[in-house]
Amino acid sequence: MTVKTVPTNAELVNESSKLKVMKGKQKFNLKYLGPILALVIFLSLWQFIPALLDIKPFILPKPTDVVAAAVKDWHLLWPAMQITIFESVIGFILSAVVGIGISVLLASSRVLEISLYPYAVILQTIPIVAIAPIIVIWFGSGFNSIVIISFLIGFFPIVSNTLMGLNSVDKNMGDLFKLYNASKWQTMVKLRIPAAMPFIMSGLKVSCTLAIIGSITGEYIAGIGGGKGGLGYAITVAAVQLKTPYLFACAIAGALFGIVFYLIVSLVSRLVLKSWHESAMEAEK
Amino acid sequence: MVNEKEVVLFQGVDKVYNTGTVALSQLNLSIKEGEFISFLGPSGCGKSTALRMVAGLGEATRGTVEVFGKNPKAVIETSNDVAFVFQDANLLPWRTVLDNVLLPLELRGSDKKSRKETAISVLEKVGLKDHIKSYPRELSGGMRMRVSIARALAAKPKLLLMDEPFAALDEMTRQTLQMDLLNIWEREKMTVLFVTHNVYEAVYLSSRIAVMSARPGRLSNLIDVDLTYPRERTTAKFTEYVDAASQSLEHSMGRKELV
Repeated sequence: MTVKTVPTNAELVNESSKLKVMKGKQKFNLKYLGPILALVIFLSLWQFIPALLDIKPFILPKPTDVVAAAVKDWHLLWPAMQITIFESVIGFILSAVVGIGISVLLASSRVLEISLYPYAVILQTIPIVAIAPIIVIWFGSGFNSIVIISFLIGFFPIVSNTLMGLNSVDKNMGDLFKLYNASKWQTMVKLRIPAAMPFIMSGLKVSCTLAIIGSITGEYIAGIGGGKGGLGYAITVAAVQLKTPYLFACAIAGALFGIVFYLIVSLVSRLVLKSWHESAMEAEK
Repeated sequence: MVNEKEVVLFQGVDKVYNTGTVALSQLNLSIKEGEFISFLGPSGCGKSTALRMVAGLGEATRGTVEVFGKNPKAVIETSNDVAFVFQDANLLPWRTVLDNVLLPLELRGSDKKSRKETAISVLEKVGLKDHIKSYPRELSGGMRMRVSIARALAAKPKLLLMDEPFAALDEMTRQTLQMDLLNIWEREKMTVLFVTHNVYEAVYLSSRIAVMSARPGRLSNLIDVDLTYPRERTTAKFTEYVDAASQSLEHSMGRKELV
């Protein structure tokens, strides 16, 4: 005679939690394994198709060519990256400070906002490449112009987001502040700016990657101005010399910097909004 | 406990919105110090509109509203005498419970040192002393409403305006909060204007019920509730008042249909 053991409650719970862990693992696997697998497939195709079709490296270099070029010219690539990073960060900080400052100013005066906002929208539609030469004429080639171009391209998303946030305050909360006879300044500092934070943060996320595009564009047009050139300058030189693998390396370096910059800004945003906002709460779970 | 000092006076008050909707028509009502008065009525009867006028958040199209014998706007500009509790707790999500309660004191520029003590003591009154460091999202709906009430009490108002504060809460929470509110009212000797569409709530809480009818919003009946506090919801007397209030409410709605 066999005695069947009935699983106790604790065991059952154990089982189900194990199951959950397994399910979680599967989810994890799919979430990370999927993209990694896709990348591997993509890279192998990229590696073998040029070899198979006998495409020259200066038309389409293989991933190994790109890596080799990056390693070989690292003494050029790394300084160029540093310069672009520096220009982008300065441009971004400028656009954040000036953008938020101007938005607060506009939002605190109805007359100013109504009179100037349409022009802010119009200015936003001007292609930055078109006004870049003017900036070079005004500020000379080199660092200053590049930073200004980087600043300009990141400036408008911050203004439009911040203004939208400052004007999206919940009506009841506005009434609450009226009820306590809050001054304009108190309402701005204690209500409108905190309420606009999620909007400001998403503006910053957009602008940080734009700032890189701005500085690389700036380097195309404003050149190096005596000093060493950044990624944009390196790309123009590589293109002229048909150093296609190095050109790829520059582009990928720019992209990596963009990703890192975006992640840093996202992290800051999450820290700022951590205590209360839904977008940050989602990430917490 | 009701004496004759007048706290709020509506005199021939009309409110017509820009859209042409008549929210209030010929509202005449005098509210005395220490009263707990409920505006009871269906939605669209202008009860919230009347409350907002008392808070200085809206103006009468015709007639006058006086609070402590003065224009409501002047009252909120010069004193802490009026506080408002909104239908949703209306807390600032980026501030902790304590900081939310501190807000009126900060805005009014009261003494920095005593602020925190005041805030903690009102949070104690509403039973939230253990949650002062929490954020609103970490609290239940009932707890959030308690914070909101604490915030209103922080500046020691003489007149407390409440716009359907318990409408979104579940029945159990609502009853507890009703009880607590009555305790606070008796202890603080305030005047309370309470807007609700719940007949039981009005009878349980109020010393007087102003029954309103809709479209156009007007005062259709005033009921004095002569029951001692705390009230039992199951007594025959209580039920009688509920019936009376319901009938007068139905009557006012019926009249609307005849028009």
